[in-house]
Amino acid sequence: MSGYTITTDDRIVTLTLKVARVNAINAEFATALSNGFDAARAVEGVRGVIITSGHRDFCVGADINMIFPLRDPEAVYAQCRDLNALLRKIETSGVPVVAALNGSALGGGYELALACHHRVAINSGRLMIGLPEVSLGLIPGAGGTQRLPYVIGLQPAMEHMAAGQPVRAPKAARMGMIDALADDADDLIARATAWINDNPSPTQPWDQKKPKWPGGARPKTPQAMQLFVGASAFLYKKTAGAMAAPEAVLRAVYEGTQLSFDRGLEVESRLFARLATGDQSKDMIRTLWFHRTAAEKVGVGLEHHVSKVTVLGAGMMGAGLGFLSAKAGCEVVLKDIQAEQLDAAREHCAKQARRLRHLDAEAQDAILNRITYTLENEPIRGSDLVIEAIVENLDVKHRVIREVEPLLAEGAIFASNTSAIPIARLAEASQHKDRFIGLHFFSPVEKMPLLEVIQPPDCSDETLHRALAFGKAIKKTNIVVNDGYGFYTTRLFSAYILEGCQLLAEGHDPAVLEYAARSAGMAMPPLKVFDEVTLTLGVHAFETRETITGEGFDLAGLDLVRKLVDLGRTGKSAGKGFYDWDTRTLWSGLRDLVTAEPPAETGLEHLQRRLMIAQIAEVGRVLADGIIRDHKDVEIGAIFGLGFAPNTGGPLAWIDRQGIRPLVAEMQQLAEDYGDRYAPSQTFIDMAERGERFWDPT
Amino acid sequence: MVTEAYIYDAVRTPRGKGKDSGSLYIVKPLDLLVTVLDALQERNGFGPDVVDDVIVGCVTQVGDQGACIARTAVLQSGYGDRPPGQTVNRFCGSGLETVNQAAALVASGFQDLVVAGGVESMSRVKMGSDGGALFDPVMVMGRGIVPQGVSADLLATLRGFTREDVDTFAAESQARAAMAQDEGHFRRSLVPVRDEAGMVVLDTDELPRRGTTAETLAGLRASFQMLGEQFGLDAVIRQAYPHVEKVNHVHHAGNSSGIVDGAAAVLLGNKEAGDRLGLTPRARVRSVAIVGDEPVVMLAGPMPATEKALDKAGMTIGDIDLFEVNEAFAAVPLSFMQHFDVPREKVNVNGGAIALGHPLGATGAMLLGTVLDELERRDLATGLVTLCIGGGMGIATIIERV
Repeated sequence: MSGYTITTDDRIVTLTLKVARVNAINAEFATALSNGFDAARAVEGVRGVIITSGHRDFCVGADINMIFPLRDPEAVYAQCRDLNALLRKIETSGVPVVAALNGSALGGGYELALACHHRVAINSGRLMIGLPEVSLGLIPGAGGTQRLPYVIGLQPAMEHMAAGQPVRAPKAARMGMIDALADDADDLIARATAWINDNPSPTQPWDQKKPKWPGGARPKTPQAMQLFVGASAFLYKKTAGAMAAPEAVLRAVYEGTQLSFDRGLEVESRLFARLATGDQSKDMIRTLWFHRTAAEKVGVGLEHHVSKVTVLGAGMMGAGLGFLSAKAGCEVVLKDIQAEQLDAAREHCAKQARRLRHLDAEAQDAILNRITYTLENEPIRGSDLVIEAIVENLDVKHRVIREVEPLLAEGAIFASNTSAIPIARLAEASQHKDRFIGLHFFSPVEKMPLLEVIQPPDCSDETLHRALAFGKAIKKTNIVVNDGYGFYTTRLFSAYILEGCQLLAEGHDPAVLEYAARSAGMAMPPLKVFDEVTLTLGVHAFETRETITGEGFDLAGLDLVRKLVDLGRTGKSAGKGFYDWDTRTLWSGLRDLVTAEPPAETGLEHLQRRLMIAQIAEVGRVLADGIIRDHKDVEIGAIFGLGFAPNTGGPLAWIDRQGIRPLVAEMQQLAEDYGDRYAPSQTFIDMAERGERFWDPT
Repeated sequence: MVTEAYIYDAVRTPRGKGKDSGSLYIVKPLDLLVTVLDALQERNGFGPDVVDDVIVGCVTQVGDQGACIARTAVLQSGYGDRPPGQTVNRFCGSGLETVNQAAALVASGFQDLVVAGGVESMSRVKMGSDGGALFDPVMVMGRGIVPQGVSADLLATLRGFTREDVDTFAAESQARAAMAQDEGHFRRSLVPVRDEAGMVVLDTDELPRRGTTAETLAGLRASFQMLGEQFGLDAVIRQAYPHVEKVNHVHHAGNSSGIVDGAAAVLLGNKEAGDRLGLTPRARVRSVAIVGDEPVVMLAGPMPATEKALDKAGMTIGDIDLFEVNEAFAAVPLSFMQHFDVPREKVNVNGGAIALGHPLGATGAMLLGTVLDELERRDLATGLVTLCIGGGMGIATIIERV
């Protein structure tokens, strides 16, 4: 129950921490560490201490369950202070302390390692090292912002902490975040012991008389000033000011260069206390930690029973799906009707395989050898799963379904990767509607983590479960929604890009409009992302939507897009659309296409508001239409599928933060002023009347 | 105004190149300042212990320029122990700020005789070596503060100046400075800097590059393009200017103010003080103005400052005969001329900081002397001096010959 064990060998004490199910930093862990270290230090004649873990991972950081409900900065600050005092005790006790990283060291776990004099890790890609706090709207709160700059230099430290991307142990060693790599657990302790033997009384860099940062600028010089201005600007370029945490990282590092070490820790703790108790981290933690963890489990433990996959259509998406399936161990048939397309797909897959650096050439080839590229139907025979990724045309898809289905193995699943056509409409051509499902992937599929699974009423749960299992096999995060035109994500995405076009047609400055989206936290501004998906596809999609749903789109924004298409400005692939892609700037002729008078009300805030609310209104209609099964999927789908502002925690968290009542009133006003697309759905109106929220207040 | 504030005299050192090959690099900023203080005393024949205050502009107040260089210089000069000293930092407006403060003290009747001025040895005390509250990450990320060069390029972008516009302006500044040197227009104010043995270290401005043309400047690479585009500073400015998708980077070393060393001093006083010393006033201060302005573009302050000064003086732009608009960057005087529709013939007629250099804390006081000399040479009446200032400020002074 103590959470630690100590063993002594030749007066070197190994302190093995093993608290609860994982070593996560909370009061229990801190007590174990404190008592364990005291016990180690009390061993007669102790020459050094090796800190390691009895769990699979060294320590995975702060206990998020503990942090999430905290709203009192004083309490958070007190915890930081106590933990910092403990870490200071460890590094200044007078004996060498080595962190022996038997597994991943993340967040506070890596900060504990930083407070040791030396860091050895097992040389394995399984070990992740780093300070990912900003991904949850936090900053390192146990000295990371103060110590890491001394260990790897100011600039690399700021870059690492502001990006919040942990690295694998070998890379961590190259960066200097780890001092040495060990072959295995025994070698780990051997190397730690050897270092203690060689360094009987080490002093941390920040406790030297004249502390020095490795490389580059000395603090309090014009060069250092330039470094911080540059780092601030570089960060701002990425975040457009939407993210509080990475900005706080820079501030903590900067102020640390001006202060004594211990008072620098205090500044970090105070910043941490503000962020940890603020709205942004609460919304980010709820979605990016709790919802995401839950979503990651969807499909786990289920069986897909798929050994042979056919992907129809070998475009970017098809080739990517083929590659991922082969990587997951399936036999793959990539079928297209054009030889050139197959050649391009072959090249694409080869390139992807070569990127898998943790595999040797033989293993890479093994993946590629599982893929058959064909123009014929015959190789499809016996497939357990078909994913069609062909042209978005109902008739063509129906024909292909009829053609392919008879070739499939007994019990095979037919999946469509259509981004919008209702799955039930496609299934009309199928003999096995119980095994017909929608698997909506996002491009580039190797990178985008989301899989939107659409289960129409006739599709069996067994088919759904197998599809979810397959999603996990190719390492996707599954969300499950009901059928309907555009399902969930495509409807949200359409609302977003259409709003961009509509605002442009109203006469708003396109540069301000694009920037408004970025500064609201959207990963990509609407006109730019529309260029990337190609305007012709967009126009086609809206026409298909009209055909299928009978909804009319008499919108000036859409007319504007048609005008661009008529001018041959079809998007990024053509080198020109809303943007001139050679210079990556908005086309100067855009304003001439707009006939509207300059709008009376405009500007950053106005446009931000309308871009967000246009999306929120569509989410309201999606909810009212019964598309959503689980509210968390609204957040996960938006952020991981579309790059919806992660700083908000997703559309529903955004609504809660505004308050549904004032929001509904604002939507009604916008609808009156600018059009029905802003109107709140009945779901929202009902919620406003009852004063409900989507998520419990935190 | 209760009392008229008169300008009795103005002197300056020549401007040396602000690097270790510059002539004045071996001269301490203290000695530069003592040079102009002593010259002012000698030319006007006042004794020790008569000056009420010595107010000196200096931007980078560390190292050789730390510890209140104004008072230190008084102690090294012939002014006696009685005159106190105050060192003022209003960035690039410091030198003119001291003139305005001196004028205000005199006009208020609180003081009779005040020396204003400025000093900056940019070769010895590097710009930015005093740290920077203004460039704290909080200011960059939260207020959109960027290095001035990016602001200058933003100003050019907002006002539509092309690379050719700014280079043409810069070449003309060089031509005018060369002409002014050849014809001795700076003679009246210039005080040579000597060493302890009395040998001349520098007696003429050494920065101008004769033969500079817009064509020769066209070959230079824009200095802030990489900072702006790759390091993200152009993204930072969108906090304040979301419509500026692309900044037109036009400024470079050849069309921006030069880094130089130098000092200047101006003697201001009321009528009685002048009479006591037997001095004839050369001009009076008609009005002064200091304003804060939008800090991201930072350099557009001369316009509102000028408007405020004109308003206070009850004048219009057409009432001013000659202008000195500090050439921090070519876009600044270009903006000024565009905004007020003032002809190039009235602005910076002897060149400006692009050719002659901009010793940060001293420039304002230097420009005051330059415009006064030229008003006398041409026998004109009114002059206006204005400078853009870091952090988004502007300063202006209107003088009139008496």
